[in-house]
Amino acid sequence: MEHKILLVDDEEGIRKVLGISLSDSGYQVLSAENGEEAFRIFIKAKPSIVLTDIKMPGMDGVELLRKIKKESPDTEVIMITGHGDMDLAIQSLKSDAADFITKPINDEALEVALKRVKEKIALKRQLKEYTEDLERLVEEKTARLIEAERLAAVGQTVAGLAHAIKNITGGLTGGAFVLEKGIELNNEKYLHQGWEMVRNNLKKIKELALDLLAYSKERAPDYRLCDPNEPAREVASLMRLRCEKEGVSLDLRLEEGLPHVWLDPEGIHRCLLNLVANAIDACTDLSCTPGEGKICLRSRRPEGWAVEYQVEDNGCGMDEDTLQKVFQEFFSTKGSQGTGLGLMITKKIIEGHGGVIEVQSRKAKGTRFVIRLPEKNGAS
Amino acid sequence: MAKKVLVVDDELDVRTFISTLLETNGYRPIVAMDGKEGLEAARQEKPSLIILDIMMPKESGINMYRALMTDPELKEIPVIMLSALSKKTFFHSQKILDEYKGEKIPEPAAYIEKPPEPDELLDAIQNSLQ
Repeated sequence: MEHKILLVDDEEGIRKVLGISLSDSGYQVLSAENGEEAFRIFIKAKPSIVLTDIKMPGMDGVELLRKIKKESPDTEVIMITGHGDMDLAIQSLKSDAADFITKPINDEALEVALKRVKEKIALKRQLKEYTEDLERLVEEKTARLIEAERLAAVGQTVAGLAHAIKNITGGLTGGAFVLEKGIELNNEKYLHQGWEMVRNNLKKIKELALDLLAYSKERAPDYRLCDPNEPAREVASLMRLRCEKEGVSLDLRLEEGLPHVWLDPEGIHRCLLNLVANAIDACTDLSCTPGEGKICLRSRRPEGWAVEYQVEDNGCGMDEDTLQKVFQEFFSTKGSQGTGLGLMITKKIIEGHGGVIEVQSRKAKGTRFVIRLPEKNGAS
Repeated sequence: MAKKVLVVDDELDVRTFISTLLETNGYRPIVAMDGKEGLEAARQEKPSLIILDIMMPKESGINMYRALMTDPELKEIPVIMLSALSKKTFFHSQKILDEYKGEKIPEPAAYIEKPPEPDELLDAIQNSLQ
């Protein structure tokens, strides 16, 4: 490969002689008579090698070297020194000059210096190619791994899904049977029981479908600057009625005047809705017969975060074992009543915001979920 | 007098379904929600047949089945296993447990995978009670 070389010397004679000699050796030669001119040419022509005199009026060789190295660290610079320029020569080596040769220039010494520089350039180029190759390889492998993981997740989902649907089908079959007996025997009890079973299972399948839809649908989050209390207020008004029906109190404690936050309001709405719905379930679970159910939805601005939401209940609570598993898909504490997708979706949304979700819980005391969103949206 | 059949299942839907099936075919259902409750009911009521789920909170159906089969007073009661667990998995687990404990527990009268069809279950009930 033909190297472009920039020759810098204030003595015209040297430029001429060296120029001819370098051209003969197959270099494309550019020349300049001082540092300023050299740097201008350098910027335009980007030679791979620069051969410069150290002592020149105006910008000297060392200064030129530093400017070139700052601009293009891969350019190799060979210094030409006169007698008694040893200090400058050492200084230039410290500034990452490739080599130096002394005046009067010996052709052989120049040739050796140039050869070494060319080898260095070739090596660097090779290394760069390897690195880029490696980066590409890593990228490819990563993409393939992510794909494999996604497929595994889908496989898991199919098994879990089949189980959930089988459960509901069982309920519907049973419900239909009881209902039929009710009609057949004109039995009020069977009619009510059967109808209740059918209705409950219809509700279950509807919830499952909605959850799955939310999980599979790659809804691009719609991030914008908005009032972080807005989704919390929406969720509170949406759940108010259900809370009253279930005899649970819902306390909304939002810090007023919070600055706007970069978030996906629909996503956050869904997260808070999931958490409040879970809290209601925890407060009304008959198997742990808690006292009067209380839920509190809070917002505040803690140090270092844009906003924090808390959903706290005094319901059933969970033990350590359960806590470990709450964010897994198809894990549900609600038996056949839950799909096991809600918290997983919630976590996915919060992580999409670059935020964190944490849970604290004590059996028979209650549970608190905390969501924190970062100051600057860390979403990728 | 109507024969008593004990239904042990943690799911309300299943209990309601099977109770109705039993009642409308001339049996008297008794229900329990887990293996522990089921075992107590079996001792107290001495049913003619037990329909037993496997995956239940507290005490599982597998343990309750083995407790029934090793109890001299209860081991003659026929048991129909009714579970979402596959038949193969259940019999495999029985084999392993037999080897591990060095005992030989007889097979249940029938094994039905959930969700059960009414006719299928009724056939099994009638066969076990003959």
